[in-house]
Amino acid sequence: MEAIQYYVKGAFQGVAETPEVLEQQEELIADLTAKVADLVADGKSEDEALGVAIASVGDLSGLVAEFAPAAAPAAGAMPVPVPTANVQAARLDFHVLLVALGLDAAFMIFCTVLGALTGTIDQGAGFVLMLLLVSAGWWIRMAYVKYQADPATVETRELVYRPRMEKALGLWAAVCFAALVMNTVSGTDFWFWPIWVGATVMPIRVLVERWMTTRGMFASKAVAPEGVAAAVAAE
Amino acid sequence: MGDTPISSDLIRGHIDTIVLGLLSTQDRYGYDLCKQVAVLSDGQYELKEPTLYSAFRRMEPAGLITSYWGEGSQGARRKYYAITAEGKAAYLRNLEDWKRARTMIDRLVSGEGEKE
Repeated sequence: MEAIQYYVKGAFQGVAETPEVLEQQEELIADLTAKVADLVADGKSEDEALGVAIASVGDLSGLVAEFAPAAAPAAGAMPVPVPTANVQAARLDFHVLLVALGLDAAFMIFCTVLGALTGTIDQGAGFVLMLLLVSAGWWIRMAYVKYQADPATVETRELVYRPRMEKALGLWAAVCFAALVMNTVSGTDFWFWPIWVGATVMPIRVLVERWMTTRGMFASKAVAPEGVAAAVAAE
Repeated sequence: MGDTPISSDLIRGHIDTIVLGLLSTQDRYGYDLCKQVAVLSDGQYELKEPTLYSAFRRMEPAGLITSYWGEGSQGARRKYYAITAEGKAAYLRNLEDWKRARTMIDRLVSGEGEKE
């Protein structure tokens, strides 16, 4: 049902793509799709059903206007742009990356120091690996429990971040592969470290992101108060 | 809107109460609410999606309803709405108001003066 998506995206043209707007679009697309499916089940052709559904939804301009950024500012004043979902995601990514890298570096230094002090770095490697596996398993379980408790938060984040996450995972896989090749070529295991960094950055990244979002940092409401104020004022 | 038999102006003020009433029995998504309204009104009133979304966007920040994304058919997700305790209280209040207003408006619009 691509036609529905085009129709909805078209109606929202010119509106800043905040996470809130993306959710509203997705909701409208889901409702229209259900309506078309019902009409088709009643014996209408797909095109006919699409026409009826879109006509029955009626004028979208009132709804779209609720999301539009604040009216043109007074002469001389600089307009405050509403950051789009992608800008927010990029900001968040940058901060999360910085914090995750910092935590990871601290962890690696800690492990090195611990190994040097106790002289167990080689003998303890298996133990460390087991600890990592156990904590990874625990983390996945906790993430699942949190998802069950509050799917909305997780799903909303997924809506905006999934493409970025996929890109990051692809990059990580490429780095791992390059490291593997370097190890083979140089005959050492020195280039093994990016895999450890990558493996620990992922959970740390998500934990930091969760911490930031639960504190309302970079939330659409925090960066786009105009849209929210307009929605409340429209009551 | 012109082809709806009942003027939507008459109903507009009661959209919130209608939605809260439908949500008080079970959680529902937008199109489901539209369908219920069509069935309950025998097709005499058609609740438009934009009107409904505006009501959601009014009532959710006010704490009367909450929303969550759930599974829809064919793997697509859809947004469900649930009523809160505050919403239930508001619904009962609105219902009482409406019942009192209904009797009064009946008398007012019937134009029967000099009632003694």
